[in-house]
Amino acid sequence: MTRSMQVLLRADGRDIRARLGHWLATAAIVFVLVFFVLVTLAPVYWMVSASFRPQSELFSLDFSLLPRSPTIKNYEDLFARTQFPRWLLNSIVVTLASTVLGVGMGSMAGFAFAKYEFRMKSFLFWLALASVSIPQIVTIIPIFTWFSRIGLTDTYFVLAVPPAVNVFAVFLLRQYIQGLSDDMLESARIDGASEWGVFSKIVLPLVRPGLGAAAIFLWVGSWSAYMWPLVMVQSNALFTLPLGLATLYSNPWDLNYGMLMAGSVLATIPITVAFLLMQEQFISGLTQGAVKG
Amino acid sequence: MRSVGRSRVAPYLFLLPFYLAFAVFWLVPIAASLMYSFTSWTGMGSFEFRGLENYVTLVRDPTFWRALRNTFSYVLIYNAIMLPLATVIALLLNAAVPRLGRAFRTVYFVPVTVSLVVVALVFDLLLNREFGPVNHLLAAIGIDSNPRWLTSSQYAPWTIIMMRVWRATGYYSAFVFAGLQGIPKDIIEAARVDGASELRLTWHVILPQLRPILLFVFVMSSIWSFQLFDEPWILFQGGPGNSTLTILQYLYQNTFLFGKVGYGAAMSYVLTLIIVAFSLLQFRVLDRR
Repeated sequence: MTRSMQVLLRADGRDIRARLGHWLATAAIVFVLVFFVLVTLAPVYWMVSASFRPQSELFSLDFSLLPRSPTIKNYEDLFARTQFPRWLLNSIVVTLASTVLGVGMGSMAGFAFAKYEFRMKSFLFWLALASVSIPQIVTIIPIFTWFSRIGLTDTYFVLAVPPAVNVFAVFLLRQYIQGLSDDMLESARIDGASEWGVFSKIVLPLVRPGLGAAAIFLWVGSWSAYMWPLVMVQSNALFTLPLGLATLYSNPWDLNYGMLMAGSVLATIPITVAFLLMQEQFISGLTQGAVKG
Repeated sequence: MRSVGRSRVAPYLFLLPFYLAFAVFWLVPIAASLMYSFTSWTGMGSFEFRGLENYVTLVRDPTFWRALRNTFSYVLIYNAIMLPLATVIALLLNAAVPRLGRAFRTVYFVPVTVSLVVVALVFDLLLNREFGPVNHLLAAIGIDSNPRWLTSSQYAPWTIIMMRVWRATGYYSAFVFAGLQGIPKDIIEAARVDGASELRLTWHVILPQLRPILLFVFVMSSIWSFQLFDEPWILFQGGPGNSTLTILQYLYQNTFLFGKVGYGAAMSYVLTLIIVAFSLLQFRVLDRR
């Protein structure tokens, strides 16, 4: 065997080993990631599958992964025997109002911070920033006492409006708007656009991804809120979904898990779907600020 | 900036709706709570200022200390499990084929879109002692002790931590993943050229670079979990034997069930101090770099 052949063989062997190693490493990585996928999805799967099982099957010692006798009775019961349709409506109304209001106020404030210089700018900005580390409960106590005195608890107003004041929405939209070129806004002004025209006709359409990310952020917060409605609302007719489901659960006389899971599925779908539709924008919008520091 | 002077009032008009609402629903309530915390107010009738009485009572209240201790241990244990897990997931996602990585990332993000109330209800069913799949699974791998996840003071805290870890890990791994994309490629290349193994590279080069983002995640997740309320309130209402009582649950009980508004307000300010201290930690550590 010539020397060059030896070299060639050795190199080849090393190459195969390297490729094998690379392949094994990739397989191991995918294996671990798939394991985490199973852990992540198992509770979600159980929620969905339990919602299609009769109560007797949920409380059977005989475990089965798939529903043995699938049924939609839980969903029928949920709509026929509980106030669920009303809670669903409440959640939709409150969340929509809160999201629209929050994105509206947030985009205007974000625009002011991104594209204007004015007195007290940094003071106002830091004031909002500082409030991020103040827990919501500090505001819940006075707002509840005032609102109950003037009879405004048990209203859509108290459910939707105060939580729409969201500092994250301002920061997020400020960041998106900062990315727009000043020249473009300036030429619109030269063409005679008013400040409001610049904002509504140029800025808003261009930061649609940012508006989407902020909207999802507000939507998720409002849709899943529990403590706020728990404090602010007493009558069943104004319950939102989380409060309604928690109340169903706390009723020991008529605890129907299948029905609870049916409600949970319906309460979860709108956020999960909204997220899946907009995930790239949402994740990048959310993490951008964090990475920049 | 060129827009200066074009319109002096425009920025203030754009800020007006947000800051008006911010003042009414944040600033004034924050001040009001502080005032309440120095009174024995019950939510009705007149104010009676009692100075620091509420805070003194708080320091002597063993149940409050219990709630404080519970909350701190939840925050620390939860972070100790969640942070390494989120980092490992992010590193693996980063090493995986990009297209595959994106699909995994989507799945890992799903739990955070499930509301805490639903998480509590689903885990109640999952962890049911006799009928729940978790104990079935444990029995299948030979653990027959049938842990009472929902009724024993020994296991209930772990149930709470488990729910938090399940819901938050994927969410925060997205932040760590974004941090990984921000590490300059030449640093990693230089280490590879020097012959560093992947493990050494991760430990000595990548992790130190991730420090700011890990700190950010730690602070954010701590701020949120110091306000732990929904799941333990729905499943345990503080029990069994106060083993799952958190600051916010005790505060809620006192303010809204026992009508001790002043006492609750004082508690809310202690919670605020803790959270502000944690937020400042982030700036301190980052400034040192």
